[in-house]
Amino acid sequence: MALLEGTNLRKTYRMSRRTSVEALRGVDVSIDAGEMVAIMGPSGSGKSTLMHLLGLLHAPDQADPSPHLRIAGADATTLSDRERTHIRARTMGFVFQSFNLVPTLTAEENVALAAEYAGASRGPARTAAREALASVGLADRAGHRPMELSGGEQQRVAIARALVNAPTMVLADEPTGNLDSARATEVLGLLRRFNEERGHAVLIVTHDAEVGATCDRIIRMRDGLIVSDERSVPTAQREPAEHPVPQRPPSEPAIALGV
Amino acid sequence: MRLLRELTRRKLRTTLTIVGITIGIWALVVFSSMANQINALVGMGTEFYADKITVTDGEAFGTSPMRLTDADAIAGVEGVAAVDPRVEIMWEADPAVGFSVPDTLNGGIPGADAGFESFQLELATGRTLTVEDAGRVVVLGSSLAREHAAVAGDSIEIRGETFEVIGTLQPTLTAPDTTGYIPLSTAQQLYITDLPPLVAESLVADELVNQVIAYPEEAADEAAVASAIEARVTNSATMTGAEFQETVGATTLIFNAIIIGVAAISLIVGGLSVINTMAMSVAERTREIGIKRAIGGSRGRIIRELVTEAGVIGLIGGVLGLGLGGIVVVVANEAGRAGGTVLFDLTPVTAAFAIGFSTILGMLAGVIPAWSAARLDPVSALRYE
Repeated sequence: MALLEGTNLRKTYRMSRRTSVEALRGVDVSIDAGEMVAIMGPSGSGKSTLMHLLGLLHAPDQADPSPHLRIAGADATTLSDRERTHIRARTMGFVFQSFNLVPTLTAEENVALAAEYAGASRGPARTAAREALASVGLADRAGHRPMELSGGEQQRVAIARALVNAPTMVLADEPTGNLDSARATEVLGLLRRFNEERGHAVLIVTHDAEVGATCDRIIRMRDGLIVSDERSVPTAQREPAEHPVPQRPPSEPAIALGV
Repeated sequence: MRLLRELTRRKLRTTLTIVGITIGIWALVVFSSMANQINALVGMGTEFYADKITVTDGEAFGTSPMRLTDADAIAGVEGVAAVDPRVEIMWEADPAVGFSVPDTLNGGIPGADAGFESFQLELATGRTLTVEDAGRVVVLGSSLAREHAAVAGDSIEIRGETFEVIGTLQPTLTAPDTTGYIPLSTAQQLYITDLPPLVAESLVADELVNQVIAYPEEAADEAAVASAIEARVTNSATMTGAEFQETVGATTLIFNAIIIGVAAISLIVGGLSVINTMAMSVAERTREIGIKRAIGGSRGRIIRELVTEAGVIGLIGGVLGLGLGGIVVVVANEAGRAGGTVLFDLTPVTAAFAIGFSTILGMLAGVIPAWSAARLDPVSALRYE
C-alpha cells in the first residue's frame, strides 16, 4: 500500500477575474513509505502545487474525472480544514526554502511549538525539542533566536522541527535553495540520514539536479503534468552520519516495508 | 511566560499599544472618579434636603429678610410639625467670587427642629450649640475646621471679630462642611450690618431671619404643605426635598452625561487604536501565522494565541492606566483638600471596571484580526513578505 496516492489531481489558481493559472492539469502520483523522492521541474511546472496538495496545504479542485487523494490508505480528498491540520501536525514534517522559523521564538521553542500542535503538553514538548535539536547537532543553540543563527543552522532547526513528531513523511520545498553548496550538502545529508535511520518518506521539491541525484526517485514535471518518473540506481555507499543520532524504532509503514 | 517573552521581543509595537490603552483607561479612571464624587455629593445633598421644606423670601432669591413672626405663621400651617427659623449669611462680608461652594455662617435656635431633622451632624471635637450659648461662639463644619486648622477651644477671626470655636463637625460631603454654626442672635447682628443702611434702619435685629426650615408631619404631603405655606406667608418661596432633587438631579444628569461622553469617546478612540494595532500586528505576522498553520497549528489555536496576546496587552494597559489615574486622583485630592474642593473618588468598583474593561476591550479588538488571520490559506500566508 502506498503512503501517499493521488489520482486526477488538478489545481487552478484564479489570479483575477479574467486570468487563472492551471498549475496542475491532472496528475497521478504514488509515493511509498520510506522513499526519498525528488520532484523536479522548471518554475511554474506545478511541482510546488503538487507538494501542497500531497501535504494537505491545499485541496485538489473538484473536477471531472474526480480527484482522489489517499494517505496511508485513508481517503483525504475532501477533509475539513481542522482534519487536514490535524493530519499535518501528527504525520507530516515541513521544511521550506526560507526556513520559516517564528522569529520571536528560540530554536527550542520553535521545535517545541510543532510538538505542542501535535498534542504534546509543554514539558514533554520541550524535552522532545531538545532531543530533536541534539540530533541535528544544535544542542548548544537551543536558546538562540533565528536571527542569531546562520542560514544552515536555521535550516537544521527547521529539520528538527519537521522531525520532532516522528512523522511518516517529510515534505521539503527547495530546502537548499537559500544555502551555499557546503551548507546545502549538510542539510541534504541530514534529510538522507534521517530517511534511512527513521524510515519516513521524504519528498523534496527542487530544481537542483545535484539534490535530485541524492534521491531514490525523480519525478519530473512540466506545464502541470508529470513528464517522467525514474528510479535512480540505489547508492551502495552513503556517507557515514556526522552526528550521533538517538536510536528510535522505525515508524510503522517502514516496518511494513521492511526498511 | 512564553507569551510575555514574545511580547517583550516586539517591544515597540507592544509598547505603543499599551500606551494607547493606558491613556484611554487613565481618562476613564479619572472621569469616573469625578463622576463618583459628584454623585456622592448629590446623594448627600439629597439626603440633607430630604424631609424638609426650606422657606425663603420669594422676591430676591432668598436674600431678603423675613421676620420671626413669619416662622410663627408657618408653624400654624396645617401639616407643619416644627419650624426652625435661621439666618444664613456669607462667611465674609464681601465674598470672593469662585467656583467652589461658598463658606457660610448659619444662626439658629438649637433644638428648634424638635427632633424632626433626619440628617444628623456628628461632632469631631467639642460640643454643639445650646440655647444658653450667645455671643462670639461657633461650631465649624469639617472643611472650615481644616481650613482654619481649628479644634474646639481655639479662637478664630470671623469678619474681624474673635470667635471661640466650641466644636467641629465630621465631614458630610454637603452644605454643613462649609458652614459655621453660630447662635441666632449673633447671626442676626451680623446680618443687619450686611443689609443696605436704608433697609436696615426700618428693621429690628432680633426679629430678623432669612430662612425658615419647616418640618412636615410624617403623614403630611410635602408638596401640599409647601403650597399651604406659600399661601399663608406673602412673598414666600418654598423648596421641598423632592424639588431639590429635581433641580440638582437635572444638573447632575447633564454633568454625568458630559463626563460619560468624554470617557466613552476616549474609550472608542482607545478601542479603535487597539483594533488598528492588532490588525497591523497580525498583518505584520501573516507569514508567521502561515508557518504556524502549515506545521499543524489549528485555526482555533491561532485565534486563541492572538486573542490571549491582545487580552494581556489590554490587561497591562489597564493596570498602568489605573495606576496613573490613581496617582492623579490622589495628588489632585491632596492639592484640592487645602482649598476644600475634593474632586475625585476612586472606588473599588471603578478600579475593577477599568481593569476588566481594558482586558475585554483588548480581547475583542484582537478577535476580528485574529479570525481573519486564521482564515488565511497557509500557503499564501507563507508567500507573504
